[in-house]
Amino acid sequence: MWLPLLGLIIGVLLGLLTDIRIPEEYSNYLSIAVLAALDTLFGGIRAHLQNIYDEKVFVSGFFFNILLAASLAFLGVHLGVDLYLAAVFAFGVRLFQNIAVIRRILLTKWSTNKEKIEKN
Amino acid sequence: MRMIKVKGKHVILSLVCLVLGFMIAFSYHFTQKEINQKNTNLTSKQWEKTLDLRNQLIDIEELNRKLQKELNQKQDKVLENEKDLSKEADAYLNLAEDAERYRMFLGKVKVKGQGVKVQLSDGAYDPEEENINNYLVHEHHVFKVINELYISGAAAIAINGQRLTSQSYILCDGPVITVDGIQHPAPFVITAIGDPEVLTSALNLTGGVKDQLVNDNIVFSLEKQNEIILNPILGNS
Repeated sequence: MWLPLLGLIIGVLLGLLTDIRIPEEYSNYLSIAVLAALDTLFGGIRAHLQNIYDEKVFVSGFFFNILLAASLAFLGVHLGVDLYLAAVFAFGVRLFQNIAVIRRILLTKWSTNKEKIEKN
Repeated sequence: MRMIKVKGKHVILSLVCLVLGFMIAFSYHFTQKEINQKNTNLTSKQWEKTLDLRNQLIDIEELNRKLQKELNQKQDKVLENEKDLSKEADAYLNLAEDAERYRMFLGKVKVKGQGVKVQLSDGAYDPEEENINNYLVHEHHVFKVINELYISGAAAIAINGQRLTSQSYILCDGPVITVDGIQHPAPFVITAIGDPEVLTSALNLTGGVKDQLVNDNIVFSLEKQNEIILNPILGNS
């Protein structure tokens, strides 16, 4: 269980320590990518809780979503349409839905546990 | 076998977490930098303000220059006026000097200067002479001296301290002579202001006034004086 946490910490440190300069117009892609990554992560957690978790789907979805979001934003910039807003909207909605589902599952789990304890 | 599977799952998960953490941290870092840059953009706002202020300053300086020019023009005008005034003042000064000089001639003011002093005294009593008039100083003797002095350039003349003017009159009044209504006995002291050399030489001319007076038995004494003060005439005369 500590390995993913270690990975997260190393990633954060790397992100903070790297001094790569990105042109300002690409910052949108980055934020979209972050949003996609978060969405995929929460989606994975939900799937895990719903017992429909598939590692291949999760990992591929993680990277593919990031790339897709970034390329969508890129396309939007070059087409003159704010497509990244669509990505933000879609990912945002899904993020909230996922979190809501997670919350509900956790709540039902917690209440059933409580009932079990009371029964015992 | 199961352990390896679990480990592989964890490795993939940690890889995902690493990428996620990196992206989040990088994004955070980047955004922070951007905010800093925005702060520098704030300084660009300050720059705009500076520009604005500078423009205002330039405007004010231009206004100042204009006003300075105006001031210079006004000063030139003032200078001109002052010159005019000084000219007028010069004219007035000349007038004042003229007035002063004329007053001197009229005997209205006290005058002081080099001059000569002539004393005419009656001759000593001579028993052989029958007519006493032959050795008295008469008013025509005084006239002669005074006229000679005036002709020689005397500026002011007084008889026994009484100033003469252009309107003065001298009368023979028996034993005395009357100058402007005031009696004067002999001896008569005539003081005149002018160039002493000229006046003495004029009086001492051979066959001149002095000789004539001496022929009339009058005691004539003449002396140069370095400083003679003549008092002004009192009253309106």
